[in-house]
Amino acid sequence: MTGILGIYLFDERWNAGSFGAYGLMALQHRGQETVGLELLGKNRRKVSGEGLVEDVLNKVGFEGHICLGAVSPYPAEAEEDIQPFMLSEKVSVAIDGKVTAVENYNWNDSLRYEENLRRAFEKFSKGSNDIGVVKDFFDNCKGGFAYIAVNDKNEMVAGRDPLGVKPLALGKFGFEGGIVASETCVMDVIGERVPISPAENIEPGWAMIFTPFSAKWIKSSNCHKRAYCSFEYVYLARPDSYVNDIPIYRVRRDVGKKLAEESRVDADVVIGVPETAIPFAMAYSNETGIPIEKGFELTGRRVRSALRPDQFERLKGVQLKLNVISEAVKGKRVVLIDDSVVRGNTLANIVYLMKEKGAKEIHVRIGSPHIISHCPFGVEVPPEDELIGRHLSEEKIAEVVGADSFKYLSLEGLVEAIGLREDELCLGCFNCVYPEV
Amino acid sequence: MLKVLLVGSGGREHAIAKAFYKSGYEPKLFCVSELVNPGISKIVKETGGEYYVGNPNDPETVFQAAVRAGVDFVFVGPEEPNFRGVPDKLEEEDVPCIGANREVAEIEMSKASMRDLQWKYMIPGRLWYKKFRTFEEAVPYVEEYAESVALKPARQVGGKGVKVIEDFQVYLREDKKKVKKQHVESIYKDYMKGYDDMDFKILIEERVWGPEYTLQCFTDGRTVVPMPAVQDNKHAFDGDLGPETGGMGSIACGMNLRWGVNDDRAILTDEEIEKSTEIVRMMVEAIQKETGRKYHGVVAGQMMLTSIWGPTIIEMYSRLGDPEALNVLAVLKTDLVEICEAIIEERLNAIKVEFEEKATVVKAVSPEGYPLSRDLAKGHPAIVNEEEGVFWASAHLKENGVIETGGSRLIECLGVAESIPEASLIAERLTSKARLADGWGLFHRSDIGSEKSLERRIMLANMAREIYKYRERKGILGKRIIWIPGKGLEEVG
Repeated sequence: MTGILGIYLFDERWNAGSFGAYGLMALQHRGQETVGLELLGKNRRKVSGEGLVEDVLNKVGFEGHICLGAVSPYPAEAEEDIQPFMLSEKVSVAIDGKVTAVENYNWNDSLRYEENLRRAFEKFSKGSNDIGVVKDFFDNCKGGFAYIAVNDKNEMVAGRDPLGVKPLALGKFGFEGGIVASETCVMDVIGERVPISPAENIEPGWAMIFTPFSAKWIKSSNCHKRAYCSFEYVYLARPDSYVNDIPIYRVRRDVGKKLAEESRVDADVVIGVPETAIPFAMAYSNETGIPIEKGFELTGRRVRSALRPDQFERLKGVQLKLNVISEAVKGKRVVLIDDSVVRGNTLANIVYLMKEKGAKEIHVRIGSPHIISHCPFGVEVPPEDELIGRHLSEEKIAEVVGADSFKYLSLEGLVEAIGLREDELCLGCFNCVYPEV
Repeated sequence: MLKVLLVGSGGREHAIAKAFYKSGYEPKLFCVSELVNPGISKIVKETGGEYYVGNPNDPETVFQAAVRAGVDFVFVGPEEPNFRGVPDKLEEEDVPCIGANREVAEIEMSKASMRDLQWKYMIPGRLWYKKFRTFEEAVPYVEEYAESVALKPARQVGGKGVKVIEDFQVYLREDKKKVKKQHVESIYKDYMKGYDDMDFKILIEERVWGPEYTLQCFTDGRTVVPMPAVQDNKHAFDGDLGPETGGMGSIACGMNLRWGVNDDRAILTDEEIEKSTEIVRMMVEAIQKETGRKYHGVVAGQMMLTSIWGPTIIEMYSRLGDPEALNVLAVLKTDLVEICEAIIEERLNAIKVEFEEKATVVKAVSPEGYPLSRDLAKGHPAIVNEEEGVFWASAHLKENGVIETGGSRLIECLGVAESIPEASLIAERLTSKARLADGWGLFHRSDIGSEKSLERRIMLANMAREIYKYRERKGILGKRIIWIPGKGLEEVG
């Protein structure tokens, strides 16, 4: 997951600090455990910590016209591993996804992931901090990842793996510079308002290098195979973003339409679980003619409950986020739409609360296929023995969560909603088939 | 035999020299400039002319060169000689000249006077602006009111010093305000330094968006004859990224920036070209009325199709654009000598100025360092494989035969074809013809004229068009209607 951000302004008089902070806020949905922001200019400094962007970056007391930042959903084992982290003494990097191997380097499982990368880079670079060498290093890395790196010469490189598992987009800031980020919504928040699409997709296997005198595209791979992460489309990305030039909102709407086609049910009201499933529910309602209602009210700050690392936090998140509005459900047959089911216990909680508030029937519809397997590229999926979809049928799950019926979106339905070919997508968590990296 | 003196030595002047070289009159070409452009130098030699190394901005120097060569007329390429009164001196001495005189060139030299004039004569496509004499005078405005603005030196200073800041997100306002203030200060202290020829130093205009285009016209003061509209690419790097340059390349096809000769998709409509021409004509009429002087030469509207006005003036040129000159001269069918003579004799209305229906794409190749650190870009030995379509720009041929970079664009590469994307491929191939002997890097933009960039520009034009057409229907074209709480309704425009 991880949201990564790079800002490169050519005029040294700019301070990219606030741009970085607000840009990371626009990526907050991709990670809420740690935040890091490094500014480069006359000096180079980093601020990082655990928590949300607005808590960690409420005061950035230094300046720089180049910025590297990240928000991550993983608790860091060590302070120095908070993204963006040092790859060497002079090179920092922010990575979304996972490097699973590096050519000519023996991965040492007893070392931390970051430590392995540092050693691999040291071996590869032989002490060089040239930005081209950094790019070449990542060309030698296997896995599914997007990265942004900076060095002590105020140069920056941003690139994507050849399969394009993780997204990365380039936006502009007038004549002043460029912005690279995991998602295009960042450009809306901190970039220039341009009436045509605010950002360009960075193609898989391509990298862009910024130096004080140039900005250059470099193509490092002739691979035509693609393995775009399908989970980006169903859950991870913001609906106002474009991923691989595909508007997320369009996909979410089509998912709702597919659900209506595949598992229609007689009901009085459609309710979406906030936030991700709302567009699914709207489209389901438009398609079936069953009216949509607001079913929940939130207490406290909006957090992505499914991303929380422990059960207590997840349930707390759900219970605070999802207070059922009884008037919306009382005496009604409800179609309840959610984006995904991992363990099923938060869903059970929601169904229980809704029945308690007087819902007559609850028909759960899920905007993604069953999650049955892990993700080798960094999407947090719990151990397989915890995954309810791997072990139970739809009928059984309905009983477990207390619903009258329960249906997933089919895999074909998902592929059609995204609008790409099945062989252009990584659907590993849904079908155990992983791309070869 | 006809003799012509060319003033200036950039890519534009090399293109002008080539156009004279093609003329049926076979003129002897002379040139006066500080740098020796290897391409112009070659043409000068071949036609039996002479290359005078001297300050092209100095009226006396140019006049003496004209006298020595005994030329029939002088063609002034760049703007600075116009600002310094080179055409005026020649006119006084009865040497015919194609070049805007000091007073009419005011429309380019003083960006503030240009706006004053445009508002005084209520010429369409006028933007809001404020002008300031000093940095201190501008500060309160920047502090209080300036939001999305273009900050400009009030004088044309070689296309440098303009900063456009879009300031919409209130949460980023403080950072932007700081940079705006710093930039206004450097306009006053750095960019305008040494230019004491005008009172107002700083111009602040509203920022607008839309596709830009240059409409270059020949004029004899009575008639304004448009050339095909050209779109320049100002950003230094691919994908419209990076600092503003003098122009990294330009595209044209037909009068209205069509996709191809046999492809009707276009950035502009015929109606917009007509309107733009009318705006330029009105500007020429206004400046002549204001000064009582005749405009002989080239006038250009550096325009944008905005959502507020449709065709809108960003700046005026008192000469051909660089690199836009290459696009239009490449397809000029009429003999340039004939056009020059018609301008001199003020009978431009009596001749037919024709252009071939072809697509043209120009790509400039620059040494790294351009445009922000020109010192670093200067003085590198260059090796260029000269081929049809390669124009020398900022390069100096030294006496020992070595060619050095001048700090700006080194060469400009021209592709001519049936469509813009095809012409782009030809220009792209030519960009590899240059390298620097000391290993210093060169860069150019590979995306100029590509299908993708063309599509985006057509899309942008459509969006601006949709909004300005709505304004036109509502009868509020160019008007800004604002509700000021507690004060009431205000209408400007």
